[in-house]
Amino acid sequence: MIPALAHIPDSTPRRRASRSLARRTADAIGAAVAEVLVNSEVAARPGLLQRIDPRVKLISIVGFAVTASFVHSVSALSAMIVLTLVLAAASRVSPVSFVRKVMASAGLFAVLLAAPAATAWITPGHAALTLGPLTVTSEGLYIAVRLIARVVAGAGFGLLVVWTTRWTDLLRALTAMKMPDLVVATLAMAQQQIMSLLRTVENMHLARESRMLSRGTARENRGWVTERMAFVAKKSFKTADDVYDAMLARGFAGAMPSLVRLKTAPRDWFWLSGCTLTVALLLVADKMGNLR
Amino acid sequence: MHIPDGYLGPQTYAVLDAAIIPAWWVASVKVKKTLKAKQVPLMALAAAFSFVIMMFNVPVIGGSTGHAVGATLIAILLGPWAACIAVSIALVIQALVFGDGGITAIGANCLNMAVIMPFVGFYLYRLVAGNAPRLGRRVAAAGVASYVAIVVASIAAGVEFGLQPLLAHTSGGQPLYAPYPLSVAVPAMAIEHLLFFGFVEAFVTMGIVAVLARQDSALLEMKPAAKPLRWLWAGLAGLVLLTPIGVLAPGTAWGEWGAAELKSTLGFVPAGLQKLGALWTAAIPDYVPPFIANPLVGYVVAALLGSALVIGVTWLIARLLSRKAGDGPSTPAPTAP
Amino acid sequence: MTDTGTPAATPPATTALAYELAGVAHVYPGGGTALEGIDLAIAPGEHVAIVGANGSGKSTLLKLLDGLVFPDRGTVASFGRELTEDALEEPSFRREFRGRVGFVFQDADVQLFCTTVFDELAFGPLQLGLDADRVRARVDEIAAALRIDKLLDRAPWGLSGGEKKRVAIASVLTMHPDVLLLDEPTNALDPRSQVWLVELLADMKGAGATVVVATHDLSIVEDFADRVVALSEEHRVAADGTVQEVLDDRDLLLAVNLIHEHAHRHGSLRHEHVHGHSTGHDHGHA
Repeated sequence: MIPALAHIPDSTPRRRASRSLARRTADAIGAAVAEVLVNSEVAARPGLLQRIDPRVKLISIVGFAVTASFVHSVSALSAMIVLTLVLAAASRVSPVSFVRKVMASAGLFAVLLAAPAATAWITPGHAALTLGPLTVTSEGLYIAVRLIARVVAGAGFGLLVVWTTRWTDLLRALTAMKMPDLVVATLAMAQQQIMSLLRTVENMHLARESRMLSRGTARENRGWVTERMAFVAKKSFKTADDVYDAMLARGFAGAMPSLVRLKTAPRDWFWLSGCTLTVALLLVADKMGNLR
Repeated sequence: MHIPDGYLGPQTYAVLDAAIIPAWWVASVKVKKTLKAKQVPLMALAAAFSFVIMMFNVPVIGGSTGHAVGATLIAILLGPWAACIAVSIALVIQALVFGDGGITAIGANCLNMAVIMPFVGFYLYRLVAGNAPRLGRRVAAAGVASYVAIVVASIAAGVEFGLQPLLAHTSGGQPLYAPYPLSVAVPAMAIEHLLFFGFVEAFVTMGIVAVLARQDSALLEMKPAAKPLRWLWAGLAGLVLLTPIGVLAPGTAWGEWGAAELKSTLGFVPAGLQKLGALWTAAIPDYVPPFIANPLVGYVVAALLGSALVIGVTWLIARLLSRKAGDGPSTPAPTAP
Repeated sequence: MTDTGTPAATPPATTALAYELAGVAHVYPGGGTALEGIDLAIAPGEHVAIVGANGSGKSTLLKLLDGLVFPDRGTVASFGRELTEDALEEPSFRREFRGRVGFVFQDADVQLFCTTVFDELAFGPLQLGLDADRVRARVDEIAAALRIDKLLDRAPWGLSGGEKKRVAIASVLTMHPDVLLLDEPTNALDPRSQVWLVELLADMKGAGATVVVATHDLSIVEDFADRVVALSEEHRVAADGTVQEVLDDRDLLLAVNLIHEHAHRHGSLRHEHVHGHSTGHDHGHA
């Protein structure tokens, strides 16, 4: 059966599996928060992508991700994966953490999901190898590998955007690209409150962990979890009222103006031309290659 | 059910990315109308709440845990349009800040979790809860609504997956993106959610509604009064009018073959089927009433008759049940102290 | 000190009281009394501490002073103009009032809602209608004064607690307010930041601003206030006088639950004394 596409936060892989519910959630939240803070640090390094204007970077990287969906040969997709690694390295991102994050978030899951497609049951064809009752076909294998390569390439480009762009620059880019001010303001505020709420929820789980003498039944834990979620609901809405008051107190009258100044430099245009050239090359190479 | 990049081809993700923008636009207009100046902080906090809900591990049974989406809950608290915006913002931030979820797939993910889930959940909740519900009924309604909503959303995701081999394949027929056909993708997603994630969602939604209702929270009264029945009638009318599309499909639905078709494909008719096939003669065979010649008109008439029958029986049952429970005229909703 | 660049519609009378509250009562939205029978007058330039136990209504009083909530009975007037919901809907008065009165909230997270620290500081002046250059000048000036100029490009959620507080205060100061309202400003601040804050408030005294601070931390009151208003747990004004008058009245402080009696033993000695909620205390013996 196809595994669930549920949102699974990336938690530290080395812990033992017998952690309690409270501990696991606290760890996952802690890891997510830490990662965001690490991202800020990476985005401050003097690397290639960090120096590109955020609008240009957003457009070019998303352009690469879109290109990955138009390229169909495994060789061309592999070239795109290599491209992500090269860009990562050029942006002072450790290849090890890059690969680890890509595989943990999208790669591993893609392998699991693609595996059944390699079998004769899904993709009939020439048998490549037989593992007991399962037959892996060469056609199936190619399809599976293509999917995995595409997903890994896409995840790699996505990660490059996230890690090399400061959140504030991302918002500035969206504003400069004519996204409405209120929307950008809501995004900014949401992120602010997410970080605050995450800390609160993490502490909640740690407090429970420190108080519990035993694991508790599923029912007990469920009761606690939903009660805590209800508390977070009430807190969120109370905070919304308070933030609104704070906005009013500083003269808010419905608009959120900003003094955004993003200027492009010659290197941004060099970069853009380089990207366009690469994309063209990839598409041509893909067309010329074998589309099995 | 967050879909990462690479599984959906541009035929799908481009269409959905484009389609989600008018949905967002309409949602923001609606939200602006009801919330006015307070929309920015309220939507931001609702988005933060939605995001954080997705981080909780919820125990199901034994040691297993799952994550909930919470879209139905937010729709119950703020209405479906606000829920659309809140969940969309949470999904966008998940993708752009936390690196979870695809960028090209944002349209698809928002369609499933920020449009389908809240709307199905909200209207089902209103339908089941009715006017001035007591605690028990509210909670039950929340459970049913959220369960169905997430199953429907998962089916939508399954359809998006399952369409890929049809929409994009090599000349040899090999799928270029998600490789599983509808017959595999849809049941897989549906079963997963029917058996597991649906319950996670229901537990979470019911639990939170119960706590808030017990604390007599004003949160549960926040949304503007909706007129769900009007929308249901409209939806039903739309579906009735669309039924003739079925005429386009050649052949018979899988597994619904009659004796004649089996005879022509297999060369014989299984004895059991022969025996049972004669038991019942349908009043409206093949969905075309015998007195109507044109199959298109026949479909619509059959749809009308069928809907009328279902509604009639349901109404009768509801009347009998309410009379049994001894409900008097509906009491006004308890106002928050 | 309000500087909107345009002449004010009605220049405030110099003899007008900064605040005049008459018979003010307020009930919480969910029910329950917040304030009852409040009469209060604050002259421009005064430094007032509103003290009281938690739940006595200090925060509500500050919100009334900032026109964020409106009284259920009685009137709140500022510089000769009554603060009503309608009055604040009027754009010119709103600008004037919001520019004149600054509110620093208890929880800094609530107050930091912009993209970057720079945007946070610029928000107020921009809402007041100042042009970009003026706004930038003010931001630079205040950021330097509060030593947060290195943080201008950061997102607020990445800052430490003390930094957030400084940004929150700076975001209000860029509006050059005449009146500063602070709600429990030393809550959740480390000792060094607390000292810094008290020194800042003392500096404001020199600048002629009116400062009203709601706090249950008696230790800071002496350092910045010249007047103390104590609220009782019945949500009324229990005392209104100089710092010496109110803080030395031990019976009063006990009655409003700002301090409590405490007994402990030293060997065979039973020692009784009182202390407040904020800090430890020195008995003067080993």
